[in-house]
Amino acid sequence: MTRSSTPGSPAGYDRIGIADADGAIRYLSKSEFENLPVAERVRLLMGGKLQFFQGDRQLTAREALKGA
Amino acid sequence: MTASDLDAAANAIVQRATQRFRAHRDQILSSTDRLFMWLMLGQWVFAILIALVYSPYAWEGKVKTVHAHVYTAVFLGAALSSLPIALALLRPGWVVTRHVIAAAQMLWSAMLIHLTGGRIETHFHVFGSLGFLVAYRDWPVLITATLVVAIDHLIRGWIWPESVYGITNPEWWRFLEHAFWVAFAIQFLIIVCIRSVKDMRMLAEKGAELEALSEGEWRRSSVLERVDPAPARPAAV
Repeated sequence: MTRSSTPGSPAGYDRIGIADADGAIRYLSKSEFENLPVAERVRLLMGGKLQFFQGDRQLTAREALKGA
Repeated sequence: MTASDLDAAANAIVQRATQRFRAHRDQILSSTDRLFMWLMLGQWVFAILIALVYSPYAWEGKVKTVHAHVYTAVFLGAALSSLPIALALLRPGWVVTRHVIAAAQMLWSAMLIHLTGGRIETHFHVFGSLGFLVAYRDWPVLITATLVVAIDHLIRGWIWPESVYGITNPEWWRFLEHAFWVAFAIQFLIIVCIRSVKDMRMLAEKGAELEALSEGEWRRSSVLERVDPAPARPAAV
């Protein structure tokens, strides 16, 4: 798995991982994430508990959201 | 950052997103009201021209008089346009304003159909107007417009069929045929309105996500700076 190193490139994400309190990661598709209430999405983003992926490639949160 | 800090900050971001969405929507509603205000004026002038060109004079014996259609266009047209224009000027964005405009727009269709002697081509004005009303992105205005045009066709078709269909003996159910095509059109237009509002909401939520990301990064970096302050800059030699 590689992390994108092209800053500012519009990538977009198709999957996210949410790190739970016990360290386990729960995966959601983009549409499942977008269907979460906005307040919950905001809390997760503020807490820095999200990992964004495009296929197998991990993106930075900023890159993922700007390309979405 | 404690859980309550996180909740408070997240709620503030969501509130700002909601405010942005509402401001965007209010701006669209108000600017559409103003757009229709100009359309109301334009239609009034157009109706007077139609009346002047189509049936400017009537003859009673040897006396040439201005046709009643000209007075209808001037006075009934002024009556039709005045309330929507006043509301667009005084209460732009108000829910009643756009419903009054929707009703008046359909009555303008009725007026133009009447002035052109029930020409079928003038009925296109109804469908054009429904398209214009989509600019509000507020689907209930389409229901108001549909009801007004259906009731107009029912009543006028019953008491003065020539005014709406151009013939004196249409089938009793002719208004249902016209209403059906309007209902057919607005189904699609309602979906467009709903999708459009959803897109506006999504835009506001995307803004909230980016704000949350920046806020989260800033808060985490602030915590790191407190835990592990940057080493003092070496003194210049």
